[in-house]
Amino acid sequence: MKKILLSAVAAVALCSSAFADTVKVGVVGPFSGPFAIQGKNFKAGIDAYMALNGSKVGDDDIEIIYRDLPQADPAQSKALAQELVVKEGVQYLAGFYFTPDAMAVTPLLEQANVPLVIMNAATSAIVTKSPYVVRTSFTLWQTSAPMAKVAKERGVKKVITVVSDYGPGVDSEAAFTTTFKAEGGEIVDSIRMPLSTNDFSPIMQRVKDSGADAVFAFLPSGPTTLGFVKSYNDNGLKGAGIQLLAPGDLTQESDLPALGDSALGMLTTFHYAISHDSPENKTFVEAARKAIGNPAELSFPSVGAYDGMHVIYKMIEATGGEQNAQKAVDAVKGMAWESPRGPVSIDGETRHITQNIYLREVAKADDGTYYNKEIATFEKQGDPGLAAAK
Amino acid sequence: MAIQRAIAAEGKVDAGPNWLLRDLMGLAAVLAVAGIGYLLFPNNLALLTRITAIALLVLSLDLVTGYCGIATLGHAALFGSGAYAAGIAAVHFDITDPFAMAAVGAVGGAAAGLLAGAIMLRGRGLAQLVLSIAIVYLFHETANKASNWTGGSDGLAGISPDPVFGIFGFDLWGRTAYVFGIAILAVVFVLLRLLVRSPFGMLCRGIREDPVRVSAMGASVNGTLLRMYAISGAVAGLGGALNAISTQVVGLDSLSFTTSAEALVMLVVGGTGSLFGALVGTLTFMWFEDFVSAINPFHWLTIIGALLIAVVLFAPNGLYGTATQLLHRVWNKR
Repeated sequence: MKKILLSAVAAVALCSSAFADTVKVGVVGPFSGPFAIQGKNFKAGIDAYMALNGSKVGDDDIEIIYRDLPQADPAQSKALAQELVVKEGVQYLAGFYFTPDAMAVTPLLEQANVPLVIMNAATSAIVTKSPYVVRTSFTLWQTSAPMAKVAKERGVKKVITVVSDYGPGVDSEAAFTTTFKAEGGEIVDSIRMPLSTNDFSPIMQRVKDSGADAVFAFLPSGPTTLGFVKSYNDNGLKGAGIQLLAPGDLTQESDLPALGDSALGMLTTFHYAISHDSPENKTFVEAARKAIGNPAELSFPSVGAYDGMHVIYKMIEATGGEQNAQKAVDAVKGMAWESPRGPVSIDGETRHITQNIYLREVAKADDGTYYNKEIATFEKQGDPGLAAAK
Repeated sequence: MAIQRAIAAEGKVDAGPNWLLRDLMGLAAVLAVAGIGYLLFPNNLALLTRITAIALLVLSLDLVTGYCGIATLGHAALFGSGAYAAGIAAVHFDITDPFAMAAVGAVGGAAAGLLAGAIMLRGRGLAQLVLSIAIVYLFHETANKASNWTGGSDGLAGISPDPVFGIFGFDLWGRTAYVFGIAILAVVFVLLRLLVRSPFGMLCRGIREDPVRVSAMGASVNGTLLRMYAISGAVAGLGGALNAISTQVVGLDSLSFTTSAEALVMLVVGGTGSLFGALVGTLTFMWFEDFVSAINPFHWLTIIGALLIAVVLFAPNGLYGTATQLLHRVWNKR
């Protein structure tokens, strides 16, 4: 009896000591279904960071627990987050590809005493929903607004906007329209097309008839983008000199092989290109390509995840592995570092990432592959979307 | 044929004098499972609450598909309407009492049920199925467009229900939400047991078997079905409202084709034409889904597919239907 008791005590002691030394991070993202490639990029970014920086912070082991959320489903998202916090005892929540999923989790954070590090979800308002939200990705306002300046500089006077009719599309349209008008440009028409549109010929005709010098477009990355760009070429818009402008979602690296020559010369603004020329990025791309398996699949969510892990490591270091969300978030406010995408910092007030936005042109490399070539830089861009909402 | 036999068997048993006892036993079984769930998985109440909400949707689907024979792949339209009704009441009209929100959800669901039913009952068979899909897409697109009211694709956030009776708040651990949900489910279950055995419920089953004959007997086929659709809408709306109250956010997915199809899959897994089948199917499917996706978040859909094929091959009447059939066979042999 005594022996059993003793071993039981020993087992409990062992367990609890092992427990105290492990800091768990719950990552929610799309790991199956049509968006699985984005979830894979989350994992590649996280794996790359842990491969380069070790899986320990001080004495604490870091354990990542993944949960799959194939599509935007806020109820399921909240259930998963609740389960991660209550059952698995995670100290940090991270990931989140879609805005509604991230929004659903924000009411939990204060009670759970858990910070949320958003690695993708790109609607401006999320950071205002809880003081424990930190974002290391981008917002559509952030990536779309500089394009309006580019258009103005290049002598474009009249623009027509074409976006998919859903949250990010509308955000993107608003960002471009507001900035372009402030620069003194004219928006001749704004078209919102249903998400499921496959035939873009009628839209191209409207673009042609509108008499615009350029078209600003946003569609979610994937097959529809290919159809859109192809239609743009086939309907002779490129030949007619109507410039196609877009945020970088349209020329995501994993889509470029399929886009091929039709995308050559396309201008996009974005926060990250895999071709970014810096030693930090070289190290990152090498590690992330190894982690993802197929190098062609690597694209922007991986860098959001990589920097997200950097922020989480910093939080764990600052709290010494104790669960203290306020202290953890305070520790990263104003924090600046050299990310694979360039110099970045966490804004002390909004807890959103301040970063360079690059103007890129799709170009062909010597080995016949396509890449986003960075040709201009807009330094230290905050999120204009939050200011616009006020 | 097999389904008819199962129904006949069920009808035979129901006709006995012990129906009240059977109902009480059924209710006790539901409450017992709920209690065991609470005790065994105190850290997983969010999932259990979600299962409860979806169980209401599947029950409501069973009312029209199982009892009336209406094929539909658009039932989430009613569930989502209830969710959005409760959510909009809370966010835009400050109706934050959970019971009031549930009532608003039920009314919203019933209204959606009347509307959907009025359209769906114009068609039969495949045409009806196509109409149901069209309806769920229309509801989805309407909610997407009316983003001032619904939050569009960002979801309707900021729902904060008051504590139940002013004491039990809806918190992180989800105890209140779970007990609240189980209470709703238990009440609905008892009412539906009474409903499906009532003359009205029998008439619905008659219509499923032979609508021409029922109308020849002088009963109104479409009127009866429309009433059932409204009741079904109220039940689905309650489920939606429970979801809105417990998760405090409503997304477009609650109005989606995917949710509708999943509900139908759960019903088939459990067994159509029986309230227990609906509950068993929901519990089995959702628990299994959570279990497998936690073990392997990358390839879990494959295993779900295997489960579905296994059920269809080895238990064609659903888990509950096949189990009762086996029991009857054993019983009759003795």
